[in-house]
Amino acid sequence: MEKRPAAKEQGRGLSRPPLSCRTSLRCGGMAPLIASCLILSLTGAAPAAPPARVMSLNVCTDQLAMLLAAPGQLVSVSELASDPGLSYHSALAASYPHNRGLAEEVLVAKPDIVVTGAYSLHNTTPLLRRLGYRIEEFQYSQTLDTIPGEIRRMGTILGAGSRAEGMAATFESDLSRIESERCGADPAAIAYDQNGIAMGAGSLVDSAMQAAGLRNIAAELGYVGMAPFPLELLVEKRPDIVVLPEPLADTPALADLIASHPAIRALGQGTLRIHLPRGSASCGGPFVIEAVKALADARRRIVSCQATGGHAP
Amino acid sequence: MSRRSLILALSACVGVFFLLSLLTGPANYGPVDSLRALVAGGDEAAAIILREIRLPRALLGLMVGFSLGASGAALQGFLRNPLAEPGIIGVSASASLGAVTVFYSGLAGASILALPAGALVGAVASVLLLLAIAARHGSTLTLILSGVALTSLAGALTSLALNLSPNPFASYEIIFWLLGSLKDRSMVHVVIALPLMAAGAMLLFASSRALDALTLGEESAASLGIDLRRARLFVVGGVALMVGAATAVAGAIGFVGLVMPHLIRPLTDRMPGSLILPAGLGGAALLLAADVAVRVAIPARELNVGVLTALIGAPFFLWLVARTRREAF
Amino acid sequence: MRLSTTNLSVELSGREVLDGVSLELGPGEVVGLLGPNGAGKSTLMRALVGLLDTPDVLLGDRALSTLASSERARKIAFLPQEKTIGWALAVRQLVMLGRIPWRAYGQKPSVADEAIAAEAMRLLDVDGLAERPATQLSGGEQARVLAARAVAQDTPFLIADEPASGLDPAHQISMMLAFRAVAAKGRCVLVSLHDLTLAARWCDRVVVLDRGRVAADGEPGTVLDADLLRSVYGVTAHVAYEAGKLVLAPLTLSEGGRP
Repeated sequence: MEKRPAAKEQGRGLSRPPLSCRTSLRCGGMAPLIASCLILSLTGAAPAAPPARVMSLNVCTDQLAMLLAAPGQLVSVSELASDPGLSYHSALAASYPHNRGLAEEVLVAKPDIVVTGAYSLHNTTPLLRRLGYRIEEFQYSQTLDTIPGEIRRMGTILGAGSRAEGMAATFESDLSRIESERCGADPAAIAYDQNGIAMGAGSLVDSAMQAAGLRNIAAELGYVGMAPFPLELLVEKRPDIVVLPEPLADTPALADLIASHPAIRALGQGTLRIHLPRGSASCGGPFVIEAVKALADARRRIVSCQATGGHAP
Repeated sequence: MSRRSLILALSACVGVFFLLSLLTGPANYGPVDSLRALVAGGDEAAAIILREIRLPRALLGLMVGFSLGASGAALQGFLRNPLAEPGIIGVSASASLGAVTVFYSGLAGASILALPAGALVGAVASVLLLLAIAARHGSTLTLILSGVALTSLAGALTSLALNLSPNPFASYEIIFWLLGSLKDRSMVHVVIALPLMAAGAMLLFASSRALDALTLGEESAASLGIDLRRARLFVVGGVALMVGAATAVAGAIGFVGLVMPHLIRPLTDRMPGSLILPAGLGGAALLLAADVAVRVAIPARELNVGVLTALIGAPFFLWLVARTRREAF
Repeated sequence: MRLSTTNLSVELSGREVLDGVSLELGPGEVVGLLGPNGAGKSTLMRALVGLLDTPDVLLGDRALSTLASSERARKIAFLPQEKTIGWALAVRQLVMLGRIPWRAYGQKPSVADEAIAAEAMRLLDVDGLAERPATQLSGGEQARVLAARAVAQDTPFLIADEPASGLDPAHQISMMLAFRAVAAKGRCVLVSLHDLTLAARWCDRVVVLDRGRVAADGEPGTVLDADLLRSVYGVTAHVAYEAGKLVLAPLTLSEGGRP
């Protein structure tokens, strides 16, 4: 029981919900990866030997590490890595041992490097540092801009620079393709989470909305980060798209009831209610592109390029 | 003040605060527009806000406040104990525990009907336990201390149940179950609570004569033709239905049932039976007013209304404890 | 109509409190119930009121336990020993509680109810206190108010458990006079007392209980003698007559008596 709240905070701290990676090609991209490996070996760069044993203590670093680590390199991932509500790559996590983010577990596993999130486990990290472990902390990714950098950094740490480079490049090109396909006026949207929390300016979902060509009404109204947003205001502003959460667990909580509030249902056909793929916007990672795609799909259902012609500025 | 004018005055208060509750909210509509939207309906934003958000909130404020005020009056009358109150003697906390246990376990799926079902079981169990204690040791103090113990135990078990839930949001909902709120409720909540509360109110009104007779103690009441077993059943059932339903939809809101009977009693003939209706109306007015206040005070970070009622009620309770030693009510 | 019991035995928590008590109460009499503490007076009274659910008490020819509680309440009024006043009701309202069995549910007191309550208050000399909160009265005043409540129930039988304890001599006498006035209207009053002279002077009949049995039942003048007082109470008493009425003054514990 003792560790459970900390574990929850860890997952929550790094924000949002829920779906799954359909093909490894779309998520990471196999072809560019092979290409960059070739380039790397041809140029003859000689990086330091990759760490043999890496341990990840945070659901966000878990997912980056699982995508980039060589077989056998990653000794364990956090428990939340297999939580489908938070972890887009929960299926991958099945083949790894799990940790609970405890310093003791690190002492037993004796990894060469520990990767974790900057805001989670704030007691464990300094303790491990004092004990001489090498800790790599990843910032709380808040926007799409930081994601390619995070992928590359994880690649460097794991000695998988070329795989990471390919993955980051695919992400960037997918993103710019989606951005270039926008046309017409930007519809209004809101991501309305459990307990009536909206994703305001500076949040990962806000940047995904911007990329997909949606106006985030929470950000426009001055809400920053994750902030309580009155249901009344949502109804009054009547956004074209409401992004609703899916329950994070099989067991109910009152927090989930807001998604089925009659007032949201009463908005009628004029308002599109969508879910993002589960886990796609909880952490910064290549999979966030799936959230952007879902938002762009929703946008296309409202603003058709054929109808309006030209491109938005 | 005659009983009729007291009830009219209290009803007017309820009406005013009900209206204020309908007109209070982050979406800014004038009073006329708001009421027009409420009556006309349709799919205008104003109509949705008034009908689906503010109306259920105001109705629940009225219903929950009435239930707590009436239950407090009935419990005080039945136990001849001026400190009895559903929140203080642990009925609300036990109802919370019941609701939490049934709902978060997922036994009933995500069905919202799990809430009143569980809350009722918790409320009935706690009232029976407290009556058993009160029957063995009739002192005011024993009952209150038992209530304190029961409240702590139910609160701890509620926290435990919430922490055991795999849903990461569950453990944050402890505050709702300990210090209730009327935020973002819907007509669904009104519909599940109303029949239970109506049945409970009926039982309490039906026991008003027994409460009057119990002023003279149980033996005198029995000699006056009061069926004490039936009276006990009615009071237990009525309080459990009303407080259970209130807690299921609004969490545990304390002290309304303590404060109101005391404020209203001097305005009546002090007969415990005839206090139920005015105390209920007073409770409704108080909770509606408190719920308007929490929305106006800090609009951005809305306070749980249970916090406000505790801020008002707890000092009142202390004052009452000090006074109880000296005089009767 | 008569209220009677034959060979009544009652056991409470394994102890035989009443052991073969037979008693009959009829209209127009004030009956004193005497006996030392623990003799079973209160238990007998509760049985006669119908609070013990025993089949051995008859009202007329019907077992009291077969009567509906509301019907019973229109036949027998009870003034328990414990003086409970839960809320600060005005005296007038508290006395009016005695009218509960006579009113339909939710019905307001009628003019007749008001008149009966007013008469009861006058009888017990509390009509001057009518608007005072009952909880603010002295102990003696409260005792009289509660007695007025029982009288206002206006039943053929009134059973009062030590109503005179704690009263000053004048109010003890006025309470007994009130009971006599009630009896004069054809009612029966059974009243338990510790004051032997009060019983001897104002009761038509006394029933003396000793260890759960009836030790004596009859007119005070014939029943209450020195032998009885010695065997039942364990006291020697000065027995005299004053204006044709018995005066009993306990003097000291009798030798070899109780306790």
